[in-house]
Amino acid sequence: MSMRNYQRLQMHRIAYSDLSEEQVAQALRPAANGPGCKSPLSSVLAGKKLKIVTDEGGPVLEYHFRNGHDLELAEGGGKPVKAGYGALECRSLVMVSHMIPGTQRGYQFVVDQNSRLATVFEVSFSGYAAQETAEAAQAKPKPRAPQLKNGHRNREVQRKVWFGYVDDGTAAPTARHTYTNRLEGKGIYWKQDNDIEILEFYLSILYSNFIELTRFGGEMTVCAPSDYVMVNDHTFIYSRIECEFSGTYTLQVIDLFDLTQRGVRLGINEKDQLEYYMYTGKGEITGQAASFEVFGNNSETRPGPRRVYRPIETFETLTDEQVKEQCLNHAHAFGDGQGSGAAGMGGYRTEPITHFAGKKLTARMDNGPVIEYQFVDGKNLKWRYEGNANWREAWYEMYEPDDELYFFAHLLDAEYPRSCAMVALDMKNGLSTIVKGTTGTPYRNNETHPTYYFGVFQMEGGPTPPTYVRHGWTDEMVGELVTWNYQKGNPGLTSMHFYATPNAYSWIIFQPDGSGGLQWSSPGWYSKLRDGVYIMAWVEEACNGTLGVICFNQRIMHDAGFGFHVGSNGLSLSVVGARARHAGKFDYKKYISLKT
Amino acid sequence: MSTNRTGSSRRAFFLNGGAVLGAGVAAGAAALAAGKSPPSKDSAQELEQLRDELNAAADREAVRQLHLAFTAMVEAQNYAAAAQLFEEEAHLHAYRQQSAPSLHAAYRPNSLQQQDVLTLSDDRQRAAATFHVDAQICTPLEGEFTVARMARLQGQMADSRWETGRLEAQYVKRAPRGEWRIASLRYVAT
Repeated sequence: MSMRNYQRLQMHRIAYSDLSEEQVAQALRPAANGPGCKSPLSSVLAGKKLKIVTDEGGPVLEYHFRNGHDLELAEGGGKPVKAGYGALECRSLVMVSHMIPGTQRGYQFVVDQNSRLATVFEVSFSGYAAQETAEAAQAKPKPRAPQLKNGHRNREVQRKVWFGYVDDGTAAPTARHTYTNRLEGKGIYWKQDNDIEILEFYLSILYSNFIELTRFGGEMTVCAPSDYVMVNDHTFIYSRIECEFSGTYTLQVIDLFDLTQRGVRLGINEKDQLEYYMYTGKGEITGQAASFEVFGNNSETRPGPRRVYRPIETFETLTDEQVKEQCLNHAHAFGDGQGSGAAGMGGYRTEPITHFAGKKLTARMDNGPVIEYQFVDGKNLKWRYEGNANWREAWYEMYEPDDELYFFAHLLDAEYPRSCAMVALDMKNGLSTIVKGTTGTPYRNNETHPTYYFGVFQMEGGPTPPTYVRHGWTDEMVGELVTWNYQKGNPGLTSMHFYATPNAYSWIIFQPDGSGGLQWSSPGWYSKLRDGVYIMAWVEEACNGTLGVICFNQRIMHDAGFGFHVGSNGLSLSVVGARARHAGKFDYKKYISLKT
Repeated sequence: MSTNRTGSSRRAFFLNGGAVLGAGVAAGAAALAAGKSPPSKDSAQELEQLRDELNAAADREAVRQLHLAFTAMVEAQNYAAAAQLFEEEAHLHAYRQQSAPSLHAAYRPNSLQQQDVLTLSDDRQRAAATFHVDAQICTPLEGEFTVARMARLQGQMADSRWETGRLEAQYVKRAPRGEWRIASLRYVAT
């Protein structure tokens, strides 16, 4: 049974404090003693001396491990300093973690006692602002402003990865641990020795996403920039930093033979308290997604520094008055009748349906709106709420994602907040589902939110609707992975959706070599219209605020959908149309279903 | 090795468009040489002619290096530096790196490079060249929606393809230091 604890706020809604350097230093003070651990720490290094030499001008670290808890470190031949440390073993590997007292720096490293190879993670706090400022100045094609809108992020752990070896006085080994894509696509459920349960998914070579079962209740998945290093074909080093959130750093050695992990977690949580501990864990493979690199590409090198996607930092947040102005005076649907074109996410939209011109119908939602429609032509419709005398005019576009299943959308009244209706009409079953999109959430004025309504429709010549049968919520898509190609080009505008929980999804942007690149996530909702035909909706919360709603037909691997967005360029209702490939499925519903 | 043989060898080296000029400008150099009268037996005249040829070779090499610098800067997306290679009033014709629907991300010499031509004006103040290249044509990803923004952050384009073409350029030597600048540039797909 999962130890799941729902939280009032998910990570993307927590206002993590922008700690000063002094506050970080204060929080880190206990780290000088080394990490805690529920499992026994290893004493394999006690009494030993270890010199680690790293490549490319990296650190030279001379250790003297006085016992199983205390070490002395001389960096680059400097004066030795004392620190507490922790170590865990995984076969011939030893993972060591320590901070340097009086500083905000430390080292986490993995050494192989057989091969003498070492991978060193040099970690530090209070380094984001300086690094970001330097990177912004070097940006191409021209320098950009540093991303400091949300503060200096002193809480965010920075890391440098160094590959090297243990210098025992003999000839240096020529091999090295390397970056890899060999873990890409795998999902693992982990239960740690401290009873923390987590689902991890390694769907990119630069990012990973995870579902915090114990700490956040398993509602959402979140993403973090990650490193993947190959020790051998069954042993990997994985790390991530919870950028945009607490900034916490995690490093793990993963052994796929016996599905065990050894890890360290270092960071300052939402209560501004230090979390610094090592752990062991036992895993269970939840599945394997496809990867899309050409054969022979093992991603042993990286093209430059790892990029970090910072939507909370980079997307605009508008005031109530600004959003109101856009909603009332700058609202456009489908190019105001000029058509959506093939730009953006509609590059593979199908031919719009126009044969409803001249027809009338009523969409009657259970416990929701009843809307009467008159389709004037292929682009214009009139609508009104039942019982209302006044007809309103609106631009619409309609598509047929499945046989005699139609999906159309239009803007609702020019009022604030502003809404739209995305309406599915199932001509074979007489059923209708409406996703009503509305601007504004309690967190941002320029976010949107959906409201689902299930019901029927009535139309002259249409089917007799059922009394009790309805489209409805489903978890059938949970665990599925689907690539979506929005425009011609390789990879062009292509992402992979990972339908992570009944309430969330994640998307991965492919890199030119076909590997997974940047990744992010949002809440998402799934309803079933027919076998293999679903409506999936998501809101890019704490991001650009868009409501995306697609009707996905798994038989033709195609969708038809709409995007509803408000920003400083206006309010828009636009089309989504893309081609899909199946990329795999994970099986872990037993960990995320409702608690019993 | 005699003095005479050295001079003869060096002359042949330039006239044949050897290593200093590189294969890329051999045709132009040969064409220039073909229009010259045979060297005088008078040693002063011969020295003067050799000096002219040496200066011309140096100018061609400078232009060729300017072209290489330009292509390297384009590939490195160092457009600010690339812009410094142009005359203030340079004509770019159809060549627009930053605003065109498609942009050029890289150039590679192709199998037609032996047909490259580089010619100098008589006063060596202007030059014209044709470089045969394969150009990487990229279509920028547009739109402010999340997927496009993330892809752009990774340096991605909507589409990328290679096509065969040629760069036709004119160059001008700037006083007082005699630096060469690009006066006009035109890309022609072939």
